[in-house]
Amino acid sequence: MIQVSGLTKIFSSGTKALDELDLNVKDGEIFALLGPNGAGKTTTIRILSTLSGFDSGQIIVAGHDVDLNPEKVREAIGVVAQQTGIDYFLTGRENLVLQGHMYRMKKADIQARVTELAQYFELEDSLDRLVATYSGGMRRKLDIATALIHRPTLVFLDEPTLGLDIKSRKNLWAYVEKMNRELGLTILLTTHYLEEADKLAQRVAIINAGKIRITGTPDELKNTIHGDAVVLSFEQQDHATAAFAYTMKSEPEIKDTLWQGNKLHLYVANGAESIPKIALVASQQGLTIKSLALSRPTLDDVFLKYTGSSLTEAKEDTGDEWWKQWAGKGGGNWNKKWANEAEESTGETETTVQETQQHMTTTNDTEKDEGTQPPATPATETPAKSGGAAPWSPEEMEAWWKQQGGQPQWPTESGGAPNTTKDPGKKD
Amino acid sequence: MLADTWYLFGKYMRITIRMPWWSLFTLLQPLIWLVIFGQLFKNMSQLPGFPTGSYVDFFVPGVLIMTVLFGSSWSGVSLLREITAGAVDKMLVAPVSRVAIVLSRVLHSAVQVLVQTLIILAVALGLGAATSVNPLYIAMAMLIIFLLGVGFAALSNGFAILLQREEPLVMIGNLMTLPLMFFSTALMPKNFMPEWIHYVALVNPINYAVEAVRAVLVGTPDFALYSKGLLVLAIFAAATLAWAVNAFNSLRD
Repeated sequence: MIQVSGLTKIFSSGTKALDELDLNVKDGEIFALLGPNGAGKTTTIRILSTLSGFDSGQIIVAGHDVDLNPEKVREAIGVVAQQTGIDYFLTGRENLVLQGHMYRMKKADIQARVTELAQYFELEDSLDRLVATYSGGMRRKLDIATALIHRPTLVFLDEPTLGLDIKSRKNLWAYVEKMNRELGLTILLTTHYLEEADKLAQRVAIINAGKIRITGTPDELKNTIHGDAVVLSFEQQDHATAAFAYTMKSEPEIKDTLWQGNKLHLYVANGAESIPKIALVASQQGLTIKSLALSRPTLDDVFLKYTGSSLTEAKEDTGDEWWKQWAGKGGGNWNKKWANEAEESTGETETTVQETQQHMTTTNDTEKDEGTQPPATPATETPAKSGGAAPWSPEEMEAWWKQQGGQPQWPTESGGAPNTTKDPGKKD
Repeated sequence: MLADTWYLFGKYMRITIRMPWWSLFTLLQPLIWLVIFGQLFKNMSQLPGFPTGSYVDFFVPGVLIMTVLFGSSWSGVSLLREITAGAVDKMLVAPVSRVAIVLSRVLHSAVQVLVQTLIILAVALGLGAATSVNPLYIAMAMLIIFLLGVGFAALSNGFAILLQREEPLVMIGNLMTLPLMFFSTALMPKNFMPEWIHYVALVNPINYAVEAVRAVLVGTPDFALYSKGLLVLAIFAAATLAWAVNAFNSLRD
């Protein structure tokens, strides 16, 4: 359905948004592009849907060359962008009908299709109300319905659940699966929620800094991390914990360590054998282990393996919103940051999603706070569960470790090479 | 293309009709001008060489043109809003005519100012202005106003695409509107102006619009003057429209 080879896109600012990107989406599958903000997800979608040009590469979408035959591509695809694009001062029906006219459909056909889609997305009751009165989830559904009006075979969903609460998100996931299963639609979705990719996609590509790092089914990707993950949390989270984490890092048996919220992940070849040793070192250092779990790696771990080290290098995707380039590299990224923060506050009822976001935002924050001293107060998103002194955030631990003259090494693709961009002052 | 334009135009009209207060609100400014200028320059009509009996008679065409300028310069702002909201992208991923996207916006804006000027004209007549009530002459004046509305809405949309920001767009709108008004016979008859302004007025489309509207609405109709204005404004509208469409196309590679 989609064949992309050697796609390169350079923004007028000189930033290389996409770098020799290759992508192959099969007929009838749900394919997820998973990556941090600024990885090039939206840029990819914009190019594939004929909205943006590109510098080199070849792209075939639904059997047509995007460059030579954009009209044919447009007829075959439906696009649901991050901004809804539906009109708030029109009713749901009017939005759908207008969209039908945009695709030059016959009037009778539009009527039939509107009824069909309204039923499918359970919007019949609100169809003749102004969209301004809709809830966020309803708007999303209407947005998807408008994208399906002309019966496309391929649908692009750019961050479909961004800004939705947990309930609407789950509801939408059910629709995406249903559309794929019942209507046979090929779906290319972008997301920065690991859970979303894991749940929905038959295949996932991890994208970072304009390149596809790895493609495969969620299980295949998980298998690329050999061995087990030992996940620990401690009664206290302070300098002693930080020291422990960095001790573990230097231990040859431990392949990688990383913090996710208040949980320390240790990747080892054989978890069962390593646990006693890990527990011993912890108690020698005077730490009380609160929980210890041995698990198979999740997509979180895969994501961190392939983007973790370079997450801080992620190119700023200033071209996402071309009209914002006027103001330099500001606009788009700030909007996304706000969007992230807004979501954080909605994620309370579900720990996995919350943790995922927490990890991703804290990593972004690290990027911004690079080289600064530990903050006097812990970051607000760190759950303060242990009572007494507030637990340290991973950033605080890292900053403390630096103060101690330690040489923190973050997980990288090869597992060994230190990540130089972490050095304070290097970026400036 | 025409069908696309029609459906998009329908959408904008529908939205406007759902928010009538906003349209009425933009009428406030020309209304205030009509009253204030009418009072402020009241005595000017007693000066020797003033073309009409009362200043309000003279000023009505000027205030109609003002209404056009204030009304149509919003068109670009709402284009930017549509871009930010993703509505333009949604149109662009559909096989809809690119020309229709610009054309429908411009037409909508022109029709909107047409209705507004009719209201202002009615108010002016109510205030005792002695302008023509002949429907043919009013229709002729409205044709000029429509063309000027198309031209300025196209300019506003074109600048919106080039600048991509609301603030400088509004600034440019303000910067253009007032001097262009003063460099025309909207407020002051030609024989009262310094000579150098005559030359500026020669290349000012607003001056042609004011003159043409005045030619049919005030005093004895002057069809030669009207035709000249009609020609200039038709060219102005066509040129700005072509420019705006071109700006729109070039940006969306």
